[in-house]
Amino acid sequence: MKKILLLLVSFMLVASLSACAAPQDDAPRKVTLKVFMTFPRFQEQFEDYFEQFKVKMLAEKNIDVTIDLEMPISDQADQILKARLSTNDAPDLFTLHAIADIPSYYEAGYLSDLSNQPFASELLENVKDIVTYDGKVVALPLESLAWGYLYNKDIFEKYSLTAPQTITEMNNVVKVLKDNGETPFLLAFQESWIPQLMTALAIGGVVTSEKPDFVDRMNAGTASYTEIAKIFDIIDIIMNNGTEKPFEVGNAAASADFAAGKAAMWVQGTWQAQAILDINPNINIGTAPLPVSENVNGSLINLSVSTSLALSPTSKNKDVALELLNFILDKEASSALFEELKFNPVAKFHDYEVFPWADEAMSYVALGRGYRDLSLPGAVTGEQAKLLQSYYAKTVTKAEFIATIDEVWANSLE
Amino acid sequence: MKMKAWISILVLFILVTYSLFSLSPIILAIINSGKTQGEILTNILAIPQNFKWSNYVVAFEKIKFTRSFFNTLLVVVIGCTGIVLFSSIAAYKLARVKSKLSNFYYGLFVFSMLIPFHSIMISLVRIANVTKIQGSLIGLGIIYIGLGVPMAIFLYTGFTRSIPVELDEAARIDGCSDLRLFFSIIFPQLKPITITIIITNALWMWNDFLLPLLMLPNSKNYTILLSTNILFGQYGNNDWPSILSVLIMAMLPVIVFYIILQKWILKGISEGALKQ
Amino acid sequence: MKEKNKSITLFILPALLFYAVFTLAPAFGGIWYSFTNFNGLNPNYEFIGLRNYEMLIKDKNFINSILFTLRFVGIMVILQNIIALILALLIETRTKTKTLFRTLVFMPNMLSMIIGGFMWMFIFTRALPYIANILNSEALNVSWIGDPKYSFIAIIIVSLWGGVGYLMIIYVAALQGVAKNLKEAAMIDGANTFQVFRNITLPAIMPAITIGIFVTLNNSFKVFDVVYSLTGGGPGRSTQVIALNIFEEAYSFNNRFGYASAKSMVLFLIVFVVTLIQLIIMRRKEVN
Repeated sequence: MKKILLLLVSFMLVASLSACAAPQDDAPRKVTLKVFMTFPRFQEQFEDYFEQFKVKMLAEKNIDVTIDLEMPISDQADQILKARLSTNDAPDLFTLHAIADIPSYYEAGYLSDLSNQPFASELLENVKDIVTYDGKVVALPLESLAWGYLYNKDIFEKYSLTAPQTITEMNNVVKVLKDNGETPFLLAFQESWIPQLMTALAIGGVVTSEKPDFVDRMNAGTASYTEIAKIFDIIDIIMNNGTEKPFEVGNAAASADFAAGKAAMWVQGTWQAQAILDINPNINIGTAPLPVSENVNGSLINLSVSTSLALSPTSKNKDVALELLNFILDKEASSALFEELKFNPVAKFHDYEVFPWADEAMSYVALGRGYRDLSLPGAVTGEQAKLLQSYYAKTVTKAEFIATIDEVWANSLE
Repeated sequence: MKMKAWISILVLFILVTYSLFSLSPIILAIINSGKTQGEILTNILAIPQNFKWSNYVVAFEKIKFTRSFFNTLLVVVIGCTGIVLFSSIAAYKLARVKSKLSNFYYGLFVFSMLIPFHSIMISLVRIANVTKIQGSLIGLGIIYIGLGVPMAIFLYTGFTRSIPVELDEAARIDGCSDLRLFFSIIFPQLKPITITIIITNALWMWNDFLLPLLMLPNSKNYTILLSTNILFGQYGNNDWPSILSVLIMAMLPVIVFYIILQKWILKGISEGALKQ
Repeated sequence: MKEKNKSITLFILPALLFYAVFTLAPAFGGIWYSFTNFNGLNPNYEFIGLRNYEMLIKDKNFINSILFTLRFVGIMVILQNIIALILALLIETRTKTKTLFRTLVFMPNMLSMIIGGFMWMFIFTRALPYIANILNSEALNVSWIGDPKYSFIAIIIVSLWGGVGYLMIIYVAALQGVAKNLKEAAMIDGANTFQVFRNITLPAIMPAITIGIFVTLNNSFKVFDVVYSLTGGGPGRSTQVIALNIFEEAYSFNNRFGYASAKSMVLFLIVFVVTLIQLIIMRRKEVN
């Protein structure tokens, strides 16, 4: 036993010695940047892109940059980032969700003003708007989204259907599909964020077309969800004409089902289209805005920005960090990166080809049928997600739904 | 005790059934590790026509298996060594000396077994930061020592109590100092329970996810489970063939480790925890 | 006495050092946060005294999660120990296949429960319906994850799958320690198998049962991994255990870290009181 112990201890010693890195020989100004990004699936692409950056920095500015890239999956990324920020261990650059996180992170003082950076003036208008808070550009948008619901073009073509623009048209589409033995909607409620997309789109449509000051009034405590109760019109249609056992179906399973043509429509964003294509490369996917009423102008594409890159005000190497930030939207190199990541264009000079569904979504936006993603309190979207599950399971009524959300919204204001 | 034949068969039947139940998810994982993503999602029970061994190769490279294997090994070795060494020494005195102080210390150590991890998580990160041990594998091992000591002391104290005090007294008559007494007489007697403690703690550290995630920002330091991180895509789009392959590969060393040492586990538990 | 105390402290010092820095200190950190409105992000937070504790008494979701967890704990403690004990007894009757079965039963414990949970999720959502279709069985074809009645059963099944192995080993060890001659003497006196078990074996393994119940109580109250990967607490909040409630409070949309810490304290107190009671009651029953 003693022998084993001795062995273990000596192994420990050797290991700890080798873990101490030898100091590097001298080089031009050495800078280490800590970058925190929630794209583990793109680790290689970003590492390659950063290599280009390092070469450029060494050649042009004689700075030897080392980039420590941390890439957790977004499930835990939140916790980790918060733990780092609140213990003063902030990364130089980090990603956050533009719509959901910018307000609270700004208030906590973790974002820098980037309005005067070169990239800021190159941003597309509606994208720039979303990363602007308190009049300042506070983050560089990476993933911009234009989405509604997905539909199977082949099925639609088969029955000579076009994307419905009002509730009446939607009811017609549903009827035609059912008469022909097709299931209109794919329901995947195991992961609660997916049904929440329905409320996001429905609320967006109703509020933008009929009650534009709704969110402000809710934040002032002078409104109630009863005013937008009509969101349940479309939600009921979806829930009553969909696939069975939705609680057993998560995102991956649903993508497989949609790829196999098990339903004609799925309230899911364009970000999922690639995964569906991976399963069935022959499927033709389209995107359309979700109708909420008889008003065509309530049927809108959601425009938002999710993952964006921010600079920490406590960064010790701000100049180099800013160089990296601007390099992400470098006029020459950026298009190639964005195309490879299959992100939508965010800058005026992005000129690569996009997917057909992205084009389709933008065609609606060009007609004025787009709206900027609403900023609801995080607690509210989370609660909506859970309530929708309960609503489907019939353990919660519309009235209870409305009352609970009103309460949660009020609580979140404290 | 002789058993009637039909009872014996019944017992066998029950055991076999339960074993199948026990193994079913693992068997499923093995079957599906040889399919493509599409095949897995469409029919999970189908036996693949062509077992894609390439999944294992691809996964092996994707998560840099050899490197993460040794990373995990380092953490486990440091953690287990520290836990075994410090807990056994502490338990020796706690078991032998009956005083209010030793009872106090014992209670102090043991009560923390009840604390849920999430409550101490953020503060732990902060402390790791301040003591500058965050970010290194050695630091992670050190933290595991701090977390694992309570349970080990609980078990060691019990076992040490069952070692006859006469052994101590004999050694003292020979002029042994406390420390020498411990190492030459007591510690060898603790072999079975030590192995138990090593196995349970090694299993825990091998499969732990959240703590390494918080402590190891640099993917070069990732443990095996952590490196599967890269296979879990956004929005639940997970690379299941790779995940399952990694799962099986990560289990194999554990199973081998267990089979070799499993005789000792029973001896350890029977004489350790039960003689409180 | 002083000499003794000094030597005690000396010997426990290394362990105490690591323990104090990495377990005790964070625990106190958690206690501190429970009296603040820290949101996990903003370094400017305020001390708000007992307000978190006042809030949680009225928090319906929290109370429900406690009740749900109590149901879970009650069933788990009984089932897990009985099943583990039965398996241990059965395995002990085997001669050649003893080691094999022990290994097979212990296997789930060698996996990470998060991965195990995922596997079972696949089984419940994809494999079982498939089998149910083939066998045309209504009973199997229920919504295991979606229907709260059945998702509870699913969680129990997976928790047992992952927990029984460890307990079984404890019981096997205990059974092997029961003096053989006592049992043989009883049988010669004409006692049948059941009487031997009740009067000889059971009392002798009481210490193991105490430990088994202690471990099950402790782990069941804190259950997280299984529920997280199986149902995520859903649908809605129908399967939300305490640990999940706290986790969401702190890290998901709510960001009320201070409040979550207060809830953690409550969880700890509940576990502490319950296990204390259990240990006291069972220590009295143990045979020396």
